[in-house]
This record gives sequence, structure tokens and C-alpha cells, in this order.
Amino acid sequence: MTKDFNIDDISNLASIHLEENEKLKLQKDLEIVLEHVDALKNIDVKDEKIDIHPLSKILELREDESTPSLSHEDAMKNSPETKDGHFVVPPSIE
Amino acid sequence: MNRNIPSISKLNNLFLDKELKPSELFEQVYENASFTESILHAHLELFYDEGMENSKKSDERFLKGESIGKLDGIPIAIKDNINVYGYKTTCSSKMLSNYVSPYDATVIGMLKETGSTFTGKTNLDEFAMGSSTENSAYGPTKNPWNPDYVPGGSSGGSAAVVSAGSAVASLGSDTGGSIRQPASFCGVVGFKPTYGTVSRFGLIAFASSLDQIGPITNTVDDARIIFDNIQGYDPKDATSIKPKYTEPKNKKLKIGIIKELMQEGVSEDSQNEVNKVTQLLENNGHEVEETSLPLTEMALSVYYLIAPAECSANLSRFDGVRFGLREPASGSYEMMNKTRAVGFGEEVKKRILLGTYALSAGYFDEYYGRALKVRSKIISDFQKAFDDFDFLISPTTPSPAFRFGEKTENPLEMYLSDLCTIPANLAGLPAISIPTGLSDNNMPLSIQLMGKPCSDYSLLDLAESIEDMVSFNHLPKITKGDNES
Repeated sequence: MTKDFNIDDISNLASIHLEENEKLKLQKDLEIVLEHVDALKNIDVKDEKIDIHPLSKILELREDESTPSLSHEDAMKNSPETKDGHFVVPPSIE
Repeated sequence: MNRNIPSISKLNNLFLDKELKPSELFEQVYENASFTESILHAHLELFYDEGMENSKKSDERFLKGESIGKLDGIPIAIKDNINVYGYKTTCSSKMLSNYVSPYDATVIGMLKETGSTFTGKTNLDEFAMGSSTENSAYGPTKNPWNPDYVPGGSSGGSAAVVSAGSAVASLGSDTGGSIRQPASFCGVVGFKPTYGTVSRFGLIAFASSLDQIGPITNTVDDARIIFDNIQGYDPKDATSIKPKYTEPKNKKLKIGIIKELMQEGVSEDSQNEVNKVTQLLENNGHEVEETSLPLTEMALSVYYLIAPAECSANLSRFDGVRFGLREPASGSYEMMNKTRAVGFGEEVKKRILLGTYALSAGYFDEYYGRALKVRSKIISDFQKAFDDFDFLISPTTPSPAFRFGEKTENPLEMYLSDLCTIPANLAGLPAISIPTGLSDNNMPLSIQLMGKPCSDYSLLDLAESIEDMVSFNHLPKITKGDNES
């Protein structure tokens, strides 16, 4: 099950840059965990349903009414960079 | 220092009888914190000024005979992954080192209504991922019983402050045992309520289908009082439920010992505590019988697919744009990659990568989908067990607290310390850890009780009767010598 695990592909998908020494340690640790979870292969799950909520709660929709929430200013207070009420990011077309 | 802090009910009586003022209690607790912090590093931030100001407001209410309730004037510590308006919520991560919460978590708003005061924010494993606080970006918390040992995790700071008398009670969060395991290691009570009974709004999400806020306290009654004041439906949390609490049919209870948590891999010490308590229960007229839940042995594997999968989705919000750390870079994608590389610690990266893999195209059914299906089977197994038993009992942890560095080499070694606590999270059950004895090296030992969903109050009643039978009255021995060594 772990033969296809490629740390470069996964770190790219997860948007986390890894140094070479980190890759070795993480690859080793993740292989240990993946080997352990392999035991699930032996459980018969045919016809088994999936519960998203552990108590099988059916998600409810709230009324379509506006309620008080964070102000625009408060919502932006923790941003590293803002301008004219917008979040500023480095160029996304490289 | 005076570690011997009375229960919340006793403190309330002292306030009502004018024998103690809330501000005097706050001063005493703060003095304990000031003394123990240099040893334990359990608080990340102390709120002295606002805490004292609120305590004095409580003083006035008691003086005028207008106190609000049992929590009025009670100093409570808050795990630093729960938002308190105007204060930092770091999640013990570099990623959020400067994040100041612009709102209160629902539980914080509810506690503020009770007149309780906050001592400060407590240390945790980064983003609540870990079992020892060794994963905190700000350094580990030490165990008040012996600073060479871990306090457990991830709510290690919240357990240590209660154990050390630096707060009367605390809030923790429990995704796979993060309230119960540290409570067990620090000799205090840790209660994880039924999933959905306490709002998660304002708790920084780790694994949303498993996370649950709950109290860590000196006594079971203290846990009941806090739970009573933070439980209830919250429309701001989509997974919140409108609980209908249940009572057992008979006064004489039928209690099942989970066979799979009383075998190899669980220390003799831990098993002996369960045997001691079940003997006491039988002596008190309850029926105790061994029961088998075979899929319990799969719980760790299920957890380490579901929790990382949910964590990889939840932590994708930390991208350097709206809040938290940003590393300089010439392009957006490079900025996100660098920010997440610098902002997250090793364990968080490991779990994000594991979850990303489990959710990736071609592996979803094999890993995440399969884990969800086995989780459903585990839930069914518990439902069947509760047809026969009112409550289930097991050790809280496979062993008492371990030394720093003892389980950091192999990730499975650390993960296995949550072996007994994870099943309750997977099934959404209420579960409580109560201290029952000491190991040969004087570290606390405990037992865990689990109940069916929404049996929270009757579970607390049983825990309280065990607390009375066991009379655990040991206290940690923090001395100035520890500080000087």
C-alpha cells in the first residue's frame, strides 16, 4: 500500500516546502504509520454505510436571515498585509 | 504556596459566608501560578489585570447578595486553542504567534455570563496534535508530580495548572484523548462530553468530527458544574445537538470491562486500577462483567486516517493571507509553501501530509473511505454493548506518565498512549478519567468510564460515587528544590 507514497508529490499537494533532511525523517515516520493502518484492509466493510456525524445528526439549514457578525475591519485585523479593505498577496501569475 | 484548593461548591459557600473573597482566591491562585510557572511552563499567557478586575466585580456581587451562581468568582484557565476576545490564540504554533482573537468562542461567552474569571491561556501540543506537549512551539509543560515527566497532551497545560493549583479548573479540548490522558497523567479529573453537546464554535479546528471541548478539574462535581454551564445547542456550530440527557433504568448498574483494553500493551499498573475499582463497584451492589469490543483494536488505525484527513483540510486555511504568519516571497504559491514550512512544526506537517495522502485521488476509498466505514462498525459495536451495559470501564492510559523524550523517536509509540481514549471520540461518547491511585514511582493512575451518547450526567454521577469510594487525596509535590535544580 505504501509503494506509491512519494513525499515530494504529497508535500506539493499540501503546499508545504520540505528541506531534504525533513523529507527523510517524515518519509520514514509516515511509512511506519501507513504500515500500521494497513490492518484496516482485513476488515470487511462491504455494504457498510458512512456516518459523517458520530451521532448521525442530520445537518440543518438555518433561516436565511442576516445576523450580527464580525465587522469588516475586525475580520482583517490579523492579516499580514491589507490595502483599502482588501487582503494583499504577492503576484499569483509567475 | 497553598495547593490544596477546595472544590467549586465549597469555594462558593466560602464566598457566600464572607469567609473568602473571589479576589483573595484569584490572588492566591495567581501566586501559585507565579511560583510554579518557572518550573512547569503551563500557562502561555497570564491575564492578571483583567482577572483581578473581574474578581473584584465578583467581590461586589457577593457583598450585595447578588452573586450569579456557583462559578461566580472562580478562576478558570483556557487552553490556547479556544478564542478569548482581545487575547492571543496561538495554538502553541509559530503560525499563530501574533494572532489576536476578534471574537469569543461560544464556551467563553457562556463562562463570562457565569461571572467566572480567566487566569490565562494554557500550553498544548501544536494545534492539539500530540500526547505530551513536547510538540509545543513554545517549549513543553512539565508534570507537577515530577518535572522529569510529561504532563500528557495535548491539553497538558490545562491539566498541569489544575494539578498545581494555578487555576481552580480549566477548559481543554479532546480529539483522541487530549483532555482525559493529561488529566490522568496529572492526577486530576478530565471529562469529554458527548460529541455535539458543547459548542465547538471558536475552538480552532483540528479534526471536526472528533474535537470536543470539556473541563479539567479537581473533583467530579467541579466537572459537572462547568459542563452544566457550557453545554447546550449552538446554531453557530453545525454539528451541535439538542441533547436529551438519559438516566439508567436501574439504580444497580451493569458495568462492562472492555477486554481489549485489559491485555498486552496495557501495563499491569493500569489494569490493577480497573480491577480495584470494579471490586469496589461490586461491593456496592453493582454488576460488573467483562465484554468484548473486538474492533477497539482497530480504533488507532481508524483515528490516524480520519484525524489527519480532517486536519489537512482544516489547516489549509493557514496560507499566510488572512491571518497568522507570512514568509516573504516573490509569488503567492511560493509564499504559501514557505509560510507553511516555517509556521508548522514537524508533527503538524506529518499529519497534514498523511491526511493529504489519505484524501488524494486514487487513495480516498482505500484509506479515508475505508476508515469511515470501520468507524461506523465501531459505533455499531458500542451501540450493541450499551444494549447490555449501562457504562463501560477501562484504564485511561496504557501506562502512567512517561519521561520526556521517551516516545519521540517512533510516532507509533506516542500514538499508542491514546489507545484507550480514542474509541470514545470515534463513537462520540461521553467519557471521563478519574484519578484512583499512584504507581510505584508516585505518578498518578486512573480509570476511564464511558457512557452511551447523552448519558453525561449519569456518567458523572457514577464517576462521583467511584471518587467517593476511592478517596484519592494525594497532591503533587512541587517544591522550591525543583525550581532551583
